Amino acid sequence: MIKITNLEKFYRTEEVETIALNKLSMHVDTGEFVAIMGPSGCGKSTLLNILGMLDDPDEGSYVFNDIEVAHFNERKRADLRKHNIGFVFQSFNLIDELTVFENVELPLIYTGVPTGERVKRVEEVLDKMQIMHRRNHYPQQLSGGQQQRVAIARAVVNKPKLILADEPTGNLDSSNGNDVMELLTDLNEQGTTIIMVTHSEHDARYSHRIIRLLDGQTVMENIMI
Amino acid sequence: MIKNYIKTAWRNIRNNKFYSVINIVGLTVGLVVGLFILLWVQDELSFDKFNTKAPNIYKIGIRGGSGPTEQIFSAIIAPVATSAKNELPEVKDAVRVKDFGSTTFKYQDKIFNENGAFTDPSFFSVFNFSLIEGDAQKPFLDNNSIIITKTVAQKYFGNEDPLGKVLSIIDQPQLFKVTGVINDPPNNSSIKFDVFLPLSYLNQMAYVKNSTRYNGTGRIASMDVDWISFNYDTYLLLKPNTNIAKLQKSLQKIHERNKPDDAPVPYIAQPLLNIHLYKADGSDGGIKTVNTFAIVAILILIIACINYVNLSTARSMLRAKEVSMRKIIGAGKAQLFFQFMAETTLMFLIATILAIGLMYALLPYYNQFSGKQLALNLSNYHIWLCIVITLIITLAASSIYPAILLSSFEPLKALKGRLTAGMGNASFRRMLVITQFSASIVLIISTFIIGKQLKYIRDKDLGFNKENVISLSMHGIMPHYDAVKNELLKQPGIIAVTRSSGNIIDYNNWTGDNDWDGKPANSNLLFHPMEIDKDFISFFKIRMLQGNAFTGAIADSNHLIVNETAVEAMNMHEPIGKRLRIQTVKGTIIGVVKDFHFSSMRKKIEPAVFMYNTSNGWDMYIKTTGGDAQKAIVATQAIWKQYNSNTPFNYTFLDESFSKLYKTEQQTGVLFNLFASIAIIISCLGLFGLATYSAQVKTREIGIRKVLGASVAGIVKLLALEFMFLILAAIVIAVPVAWYAMSKWLQDFAYRISIEWWLFLIAGLMAMLIAFVTISFQSVKAAIANPVKSLRSE
Repeated sequence: MIKITNLEKFYRTEEVETIALNKLSMHVDTGEFVAIMGPSGCGKSTLLNILGMLDDPDEGSYVFNDIEVAHFNERKRADLRKHNIGFVFQSFNLIDELTVFENVELPLIYTGVPTGERVKRVEEVLDKMQIMHRRNHYPQQLSGGQQQRVAIARAVVNKPKLILADEPTGNLDSSNGNDVMELLTDLNEQGTTIIMVTHSEHDARYSHRIIRLLDGQTVMENIMI
Repeated sequence: MIKNYIKTAWRNIRNNKFYSVINIVGLTVGLVVGLFILLWVQDELSFDKFNTKAPNIYKIGIRGGSGPTEQIFSAIIAPVATSAKNELPEVKDAVRVKDFGSTTFKYQDKIFNENGAFTDPSFFSVFNFSLIEGDAQKPFLDNNSIIITKTVAQKYFGNEDPLGKVLSIIDQPQLFKVTGVINDPPNNSSIKFDVFLPLSYLNQMAYVKNSTRYNGTGRIASMDVDWISFNYDTYLLLKPNTNIAKLQKSLQKIHERNKPDDAPVPYIAQPLLNIHLYKADGSDGGIKTVNTFAIVAILILIIACINYVNLSTARSMLRAKEVSMRKIIGAGKAQLFFQFMAETTLMFLIATILAIGLMYALLPYYNQFSGKQLALNLSNYHIWLCIVITLIITLAASSIYPAILLSSFEPLKALKGRLTAGMGNASFRRMLVITQFSASIVLIISTFIIGKQLKYIRDKDLGFNKENVISLSMHGIMPHYDAVKNELLKQPGIIAVTRSSGNIIDYNNWTGDNDWDGKPANSNLLFHPMEIDKDFISFFKIRMLQGNAFTGAIADSNHLIVNETAVEAMNMHEPIGKRLRIQTVKGTIIGVVKDFHFSSMRKKIEPAVFMYNTSNGWDMYIKTTGGDAQKAIVATQAIWKQYNSNTPFNYTFLDESFSKLYKTEQQTGVLFNLFASIAIIISCLGLFGLATYSAQVKTREIGIRKVLGASVAGIVKLLALEFMFLILAAIVIAVPVAWYAMSKWLQDFAYRISIEWWLFLIAGLMAMLIAFVTISFQSVKAAIANPVKSLRSE
């Protein structure tokens, strides 16, 4: 599904150039659950952003589903993104002005799904995430665990092929964290590819494979049994 | 999708009450004031347009006098209209109008004053004053016909059929039969009368029956051969595309052929549509004020829009997370753009509804203020056009930039909060604040200067004493003036009584029929001739510079007194004893008075000549002690009753008449005061919002500084200084603009103040102070907050 080769990304300020990704190569197959680990500043988030087509690489190749996307313009990336990729963030990033239902509905609106179909699909996914009873609440009225479940519901409502999760349990206590990891595992078992950045060895154990990064390069790959 | 936009927009407005209130209040106030002014402007520009033939109607004037006394006669001689219609093929029709002023009419026991005019029957077909009752083909059946407006008909006859009813003029034997009714002239008509009598009636009375008009060869038999009396407003209906320059020449030729000694007598044809705002020669007659107000309206609207743009772009940082998330989820730029447009539109919608509601409520006050009778008439599409266009433009100005800015965030950076540091639009916002305050400061300075000029006019020594003087028109008293005067002088509270042939406050009579020893052949000097009695000069404390005032001796009928300007204009040395002829009076100059203002301060003092006349003089002046003015009025009224049993007793205080001369200026002054205040209030509202935002963004910085030992004063300085520099920049921009604009405005006044630098200083300091108070409110609040709290909030 994903194949990147010699990927490079620099951050420049006036005086300093920082290398975030240094000729990084890796691949992820369809249906895999991959965890990316490494110390702060190793390039994990940069990699995830490029994989999620939120950012573009300076050098190298990124093939997504057999399409070279490294030098797509923003519009094309956005188009590919909204149909194929769901995001889950550490800080949930729900929109405060929208209710649970509306937050989950939003991706469907932007992809032009008709109203009737939208309601059906949102209800379906809310049911699955067990937050149906909170559908008319606003994010501030929910606990962290509930918020993250809404965020996951939002990420999957469009039935993406790939879910990118950036420390999805970072703001949760361990019990809520485990729930979230169970949800992701379920999704993976139903066929969704998942790439997750994490600091937590515990969470990483849910994955099939761990890629360890240091200074923008892959230093080790562990296959989980 | 649209439902979603509106829903989100509404929740955003609701969840950010502070900013929403600031935005909505600013927009509402801006819209109310801006629209009010634009309505006023629209009304001014709409004058006389209701006449469907207006584009082809011209008012005819004549340039008279020369040099400093050049005048444009907007009322001209009667025969021009008839000759033009008979001789010039391009003239389709002609109308003459002779104002006869306020006259008291009577029907049974109903007595009212009406403003009336003599006119030609063509009046009712050339202008859109067609008869709603009566015979349009023959509006006046005979010389004793009268045409009245609907309101007048209602007033005298109620619901009865007005046609055939007979009206009389108080103290006059003639009776007039109503032969037609017209609709009331609209408020935006330059020609406004209540009743009309046939011009042929005037001709009959003033020429045919008992002519008092003479020319060099004898009695003038008809107004149509009277080439002397400049009395008639004359309008010509021309064929489309008439060459106006050629028409003017043709009219001049007609005049010079009939009265060769007037040559050269240049004619002016002024479009009817111009007469409300331009003088006959094309110079300013109000258009300047209209333009100024239009600019002010636009400035105020811009200030209100800037508030919105400033606050919404500043706050866009706070919304970066939302925008980014929407983008990541799949929102396109267009979708986000429309979301923010929807938000602005909703905000505007609220402001518009409030504004229109407020306008309805405030309209009566505004009308009082502006001297207009504007109505938010739902059927007048001009008003709606005005409102809709204003809304669309302000909406576009306020929405597009923030929408573009917000929708173009790079989602990743915005999400990480990296935008706050590098927001490139901070300088754009600074520019907007500078623009706002420049405009406000210009208005403040203008207010100062207008106020000062008005005060200058009010307080300037007029050269005569107008305190405690009652003036009235004599009517039936005139033949008994001397007896009445004696009687009045016996009354307590009355000090002196005098008379003159014209109003000393605004005297507009002219004559070019004059001669003196050594008058150059090419001189076309005009004099203001005024007939007075012997007490006039002492009554008004007018200073004699040379010679003597009238004494009441028989010889005085051949004596003349002139003013300084007249002496100068005639280029006379040693004027006393010199001969001077004014019309039929061949006299000797016995005195020179110091110049005094007998006309608006807009005009330079012009040559005046005073003649002694014991029988003429319509205006009577009564000087009271001031304290006993009321007693004097009661006494005067009692005496008035003896001679004018039917005419209502009307009097004015000269002070008040004087103030009325400057009514337009006073209104301009009051309105400017209001506009400047509103502009500064709206600007400050925006500044307040920005300062609040700034303090909010800097909460963490303030916290850290406080932990490190910064004082409250130091932090207030930190927050306020940035804004104060903006105000300073605004002052630098505003001063030259205000100076230029105000110099232009002052040019209209022959007597004016000089613009002094300290006015700018005060205006600048005022703006700084107001801005500082606005900012420090938030700054102090942020500065005294507990640092632990502010650090935690990050």
